[in-house]
Order: sequence, then structure tokens, then C-alpha cells
Amino acid sequence: MEHSFSLPNSGHNYDAKASKLGMWLFLYTELLLFGGLFMVYMVYRALNPDAFLIASFNLNVWLGTINTVVLLTSSMTVAMSITAIQKGNSKLSLILLALTVAAAVIFLVIKYFEWGAKIEHGFWPGMDHFTNLPFGEQLYFYLYFFMTGLHGLHVVVGMVFILIVMKKIKNGSQNKNKNQLLENSGLYWHLVDLIWIYLFPLFYLIH
Amino acid sequence: MTGTSASQPSYLDVTKGLFSWIFTLDHKRIGLLYLYTVGSFFLVGVILGVIMRLELFNPGADIIEAQTYNQVFTLHGVIMVFLFIIPSIPAVFGNFFLPIMLGTDDVAFPRINLMSWWLYVIGAIFALGTLIFGDGPADTGWTFYAPYSVKTGTNVSMTVLAAFVLGFSSILTGLNFIVTIHRLRAPGMGFNDMPLFSWALYATSWIQLLATPIIGITLLMILAERVLGIGLFDPAIGGDPILYQHLFWIYSHPAVYIMALPAMGIVSEIIPTFSQRTIFGYKAIAYSSMGIALVGYFVWGHHMFTSGMSGPSAWIFSLLTFFVAIPTSIKVFNWLATLYKGSIDIEVPLLYALAFIFNFLIGGLTGLVVGALAADVHLHDTYFVVGHFHYVMLGGTGFAFIGGLHYWFPKMWGKMYNKAVAKLAFAIIFIGLNILYFPMLILGVMGMPRRYYDYLPEFHTLNQVSTVGSWIMVTGLIIMLVNLFIAHRKGKKAPDNPWNGITLEWQTKSPPPLYNFDKMPKLAKGGPYNYPNAKNS
Amino acid sequence: MEDSYHITGYAEHFGTWVSLILLTFMTVFISVFGADLNTLTVATALFIASVKALVVAYYFMHLKYDPKIYRIMILIVMSMFVIFLIMLIFDYLTR
Repeated sequence: MEHSFSLPNSGHNYDAKASKLGMWLFLYTELLLFGGLFMVYMVYRALNPDAFLIASFNLNVWLGTINTVVLLTSSMTVAMSITAIQKGNSKLSLILLALTVAAAVIFLVIKYFEWGAKIEHGFWPGMDHFTNLPFGEQLYFYLYFFMTGLHGLHVVVGMVFILIVMKKIKNGSQNKNKNQLLENSGLYWHLVDLIWIYLFPLFYLIH
Repeated sequence: MTGTSASQPSYLDVTKGLFSWIFTLDHKRIGLLYLYTVGSFFLVGVILGVIMRLELFNPGADIIEAQTYNQVFTLHGVIMVFLFIIPSIPAVFGNFFLPIMLGTDDVAFPRINLMSWWLYVIGAIFALGTLIFGDGPADTGWTFYAPYSVKTGTNVSMTVLAAFVLGFSSILTGLNFIVTIHRLRAPGMGFNDMPLFSWALYATSWIQLLATPIIGITLLMILAERVLGIGLFDPAIGGDPILYQHLFWIYSHPAVYIMALPAMGIVSEIIPTFSQRTIFGYKAIAYSSMGIALVGYFVWGHHMFTSGMSGPSAWIFSLLTFFVAIPTSIKVFNWLATLYKGSIDIEVPLLYALAFIFNFLIGGLTGLVVGALAADVHLHDTYFVVGHFHYVMLGGTGFAFIGGLHYWFPKMWGKMYNKAVAKLAFAIIFIGLNILYFPMLILGVMGMPRRYYDYLPEFHTLNQVSTVGSWIMVTGLIIMLVNLFIAHRKGKKAPDNPWNGITLEWQTKSPPPLYNFDKMPKLAKGGPYNYPNAKNS
Repeated sequence: MEDSYHITGYAEHFGTWVSLILLTFMTVFISVFGADLNTLTVATALFIASVKALVVAYYFMHLKYDPKIYRIMILIVMSMFVIFLIMLIFDYLTR
């Protein structure tokens, strides 16, 4: 809409810094969302240390480690794709983002097989095997499914976010000079990685 | 719209039609959308409150049964907390006036702003949907305490989902305000040149941002527990109900400051305007908002003194609670010092601001009583608590909300209300409120427990007094609303600056043009409240 | 924008990745083969996780090159969370 006078500090201007600040603020809410779950985890682990230990033996450390490496690698590729676009190399940026999405898919596939194996053995809440477990182990598996499930959801969201950005890079609306959306999707992706960095030792590495 | 700047139409006239409102990106219209929705839910909440008071007029089940009563007070709580008081001031006046006060034309993310209103509507639909779907509205109280909330047959799941969605809406509002304050202040306006309402909103927004996710995830856990049947908070199957209370209050205590801080912000605007004097202790008021926000995070345990929390924890929380009183009283003293030797103009908004101080004093001091460990053991879950928080919520925030409405009404619609009627309504509301809630404090000390449809015969008289108070207050509210409605329809045209205010919203037209300012707003020299012809004492 | 932003080089990202991978193997190694450390493993695992998180935030998320306010804000947020956690656990430890 045309109007004759426009403020220098208008809210309708493109402001990369505002959008970056907004993204960070949103990440804080995500951190605290998982933070609430970590608090629950900490309390129940403190109350049931042995049950958590025994229950954790059911997880496959190596699959967890592979997934950690996969996510860390994807974090690197998304960070590099930002470097690429800032240097004006959109093509390289797209390739790196495609690698990131591929890593996300690998992560989810591995997660799918992990969950599948657990459910096959009846660890899903409400299943026979689950109901016969001691309370502490039930809590462990409940938290395991809840937290990795919520994290998996974030992986999917991050993936969609990156795919949208890829489309925008292709049509040129994200470019050398204007790339805050890519940076924000990168920030989001790093957060997904960051949370996994804590989930991994808390669930897989109790020994 | 290419006319000269002088003929820019007001935000109310640029476009017409329902869709130009419900899909608007203009912060002022979104503020009004919030006003209409929030205001409607306030009235629904009032009606539910009056029904409860009617039931309590006499002991025994008169007009509603015990179970219905439980559902009514839960719905009253959920509506008043999540649908009225948390969004009230930030979402209505914050949306409308924060950008104008900062001298800009919109919030940082207008589309997210619209989205937050839509989330609010969706949440509201969920909350009210419990009336139709499932086995009736929740009967747990607005706190959804586990394990009862996990076991009751009523539709807790949907109510909890409503609170979750509303929390998300609140987060987005807070996020928007923080970025707006950081990035869109008028050139030359530093943080310490912002009006105090902006400071209050800044502190509030941080609470909205950092506390709400915790309740979000907690409510999801309740939901999952109901659906999957895990003993996360149910002691019978290995959970710990006190953990739920911890998580709930980690959000819900700071939420009290989501309600109170913006109210204090409005009072900090009204008082200097109507005493035509620089606010006393600008920085003290501004930073005490941040102080309240910060300390407010670490006192949640004072809601749980009788829950079975450990002794040392209880007294630490009790001690910390007292620290909140310090920044709060800093504000009160500064307001009083501002009035001292000011050229006071007793207008309707100032009356509400003064009544805010009076009510908030009662609410705050009774808050210290229940914050004290030993006294709380006696008073917990009695009507003393009900009286206390209604003084803070309605007597405090509610009054500031209505005061703000009267303060900014001429700016928002460009019309002026009948001041004599507004003063009369104020008097009736104020008297009604005190007759309604003061007996509750006495009843609480006498030992009447809260959340029952029934009571012992010795509490009869005071309950009747309280119910009569509710009638008086509602009468006042109706007069106020009718007065404002008439003013909105055919009120006299208001001048651009009816109160001689000097914050930026008074420099633009009433009602403001779509982009708020036709020309660059001028910042007052020497701070936002530096009245040019103030008497220097 | 008034100030030019910093472009992180590919090599720096790769170096960050290498250090993160090393830390990951370290934490797995300590956990799987050093099981007799008992409660210490929890502390070490969390410590290593925090180092990793810091590396991600500082280099990948660009915090190192951002204005100071970003570091201050995340510090406040994280310390608030830690205080929440301490006050919560304190209740359980003193029951």
C-alpha cells in the first residue's frame, strides 16, 4: 500500500537482524520446552537410578552413536551452506543443504528401526511387556519415547524448513545479500542437533 | 492511498468488511480484535463468577449441584486466567500502543502477530468446546493438579489442549514485543527513553517467552498420561504428583507477573500524565519491572507449602517470596512521590490508577501473609487465598485494564465518553469489589475452605455480604460498558491529546492513521515524562 | 546493515566437526569401557555434552561472531534453567 510518509524505523522494512533475534528468542522457548522434560528426567532418574540403568541396556549404543555422527555432520553441512551462499555460491549451498536433508532422512530411518525394535519387544506404553516392567523402567521408556519422539518431530520440522529454503534459493529470493531465512533454518537445525547432544548421553550412555 | 499526509484516513476507515479485520496485519486492529474477544470472555467469566456467588448465597445446593459447581469454578478459572487476564493488557494495549509509543508503524512481525490472535481464537474454541464435547468441562480447577486431572472423567484433555494452544499464542506475542522493542524504537530513543509501559511489556514478554514453554510441555505430559496411561504423575503407578505441581508453578507463578507487570506499566503511564509531572524514579520503576520478572521465576514453591515439599525447600521459597515485595513497593513509593506536588487532575483513568494502588496494596500485603510459611499452613486453600488473588487480579490488573481503556479510549476511537457516568461507574465498581472480596479474607481467616459449593452455617452472613457485593460490582461494570458503548456509537469527537500527555501516542491523530504517524514524531527532551510546564519541587 | 558480517570459512566448520566427533567418541568410550566410574560417568557425560553444545553454539550457530547481547541472553536463559533444576532437585534431596 502506498503512503506518502514512511518512518525510518518501520516495521515493514526487511530487517535481517530482527528476524535473527526473533529466531533466537524462539530457540529459547524450544530449549525450555525440552528443559521441562529434562527436569522430569532428572527427578525420576534421581529417584530410580537402578531402574534407569537396567532399562538403558535395551538401547543400542552403536545406533545412537551413528545417529549422533549423522546429526553432527548435517550440522556442519548446513553451516557450510551458509558460508557458501554468503560467498555467492548458491549452487554449492544447495548441494550442502541437500546433504543435510539426506542426513535428516538417515537419522529418521535409523530412529524408525530403533523404535520399531522396541515396539516389537513390547516396550511401547500400554503393551504387555511394558506393563510388567517395574515403575522406574516404565518411566524410562515413557520418557525415551516422549523425548526422542518430540525430537524426531523437530527433525521433521527442520527438514521441511530447509526444503522451503532450498526452493527459495533456487528461485533466487535467498541470495548473497539476503539470506536470513537460510541462517534461521540453520539455527533451527543446530538446535535440533544441540538437543540430541544431551539426549544421547542421557538415554544411551547410562552405564 | 496516495493523498497528502494530512488526509491519510484513520486505521478504522482504510478498509471495510469483516475480512479486512480478521486477516488484518495492522497492530491496532489486532489490538482491537483482542479487545473484543478478551472482553467477551471476561463477561463470560463474570457470569460464571456471579453464578458461584449466587450458589453461595445460602449454604447447601440451591441452584447448582456440587459437580456442576466444580465445573463452573474450573471454567471460570480457565477463562479468566488463560483467556482474559494473561492476554488482556499485553495483547490489547500492548499491541495497540507499544509500536505507537516507540514511534514506529507496526510490530516487528505483523504476520506472526495475526497468527497469535488466531491461535488465541483456536484455544478459546477448545476451551469452550468442552461444554459440548466429551463428558462436560473439566472439574479439576484451573491448576489441573495430578493425579486427579489424569483420572477424572470430565474433558480435561481438551481443556489442557486449549491451555497449550493459548500458551503458544502468548509466546508469539512476547517474542514479537521483544524484537519490536530491540529493533524498532524511534531514532534517538534509547532503552531509557522508552515509556514505562514499554518497559513493563518488555519484562512481561520475557516471562511469556521463558516460562510458557514449561507449562506447555507439562500439559502435553498430562495429555499423554491420560491417553497412554503412564504413571508420570500418578503415585499409584510410580509417578510423583508434587513434580507436576513444581512444573505447573514454574510457569504459573511467573504468569502472575504476566498479569501484574503490564498493569503496573499502565499505572506508570496514567499517574505522570494526570499529575503533569515527571515520573519519580524512572529507572527505579523500569528496572524494578525487570527485577520482579527475574525474582518472580524463583518463588514458585510458595504455592506448594502444604503439598509435601521438603522443609528446607519450603523456607527457601518463602524467603525468596519476600524479595518480590521490594521491587513492588519501589514502584508504589515512586507513584506516590510522582503525585506529590503534581498538578493533579482527577480524571477517570487516574481514579482507576489510584484504586489500583489501593487494591494492589491489599492484594500484595495479603500475598505476603500467605507467602509466610507459618501463616500459609493455616490459610492455604481457604477463602483468604481467593480474596487475596482476586484483589490482585481484578482489583489490580482488572482495574488497570479498565483504567487503560478509559485512558486510551479517545485515542483508539477518536471519541470521548461521558466522564460523569464513567466516574459513577468507577465508584460503584470500586465499592462492589471491596464488598465482594474483603469478606472472603475474613472468611478465610475463620477457616472457610475454598472450592466447595457448601459451607458451615457460621459463614452465612459474610457470604451473603460478598454475594451482594458481586451484584453491586456487576451493576457498575454494566454502567461502564454501556457508557463506553454509547461513546463508541455517538460520542463527542475527542481531541488528539485530551489529557495533555507527552508520550508519543498523543502526538498522532485520534484515531491514528494506518501507519500511525503522518510526520516524524518528536521525542520529549529529557525523557518521556519531562513535562515542559511542570512545577519543579 | 551498518556493519559487515563475518563469513566463517569451510575449514573452520570442518575443524569444528572434527572436534565434535572426537568428543562424541570420547564420551562413548568413557561410558562403555569405563563403566566402573559409576556416578562420575553421569557428570562426565553431561560435562562433555555441554562442551559439545558450547562448540555447536559458538561456531556452528555463529555466537562467537554475533553481538555480545546474544551471548548474554543465552547465558541468562541457561542459568535460569540451571537454577530451576537446582531448586527442583534440592526439594527431592532434602525430603
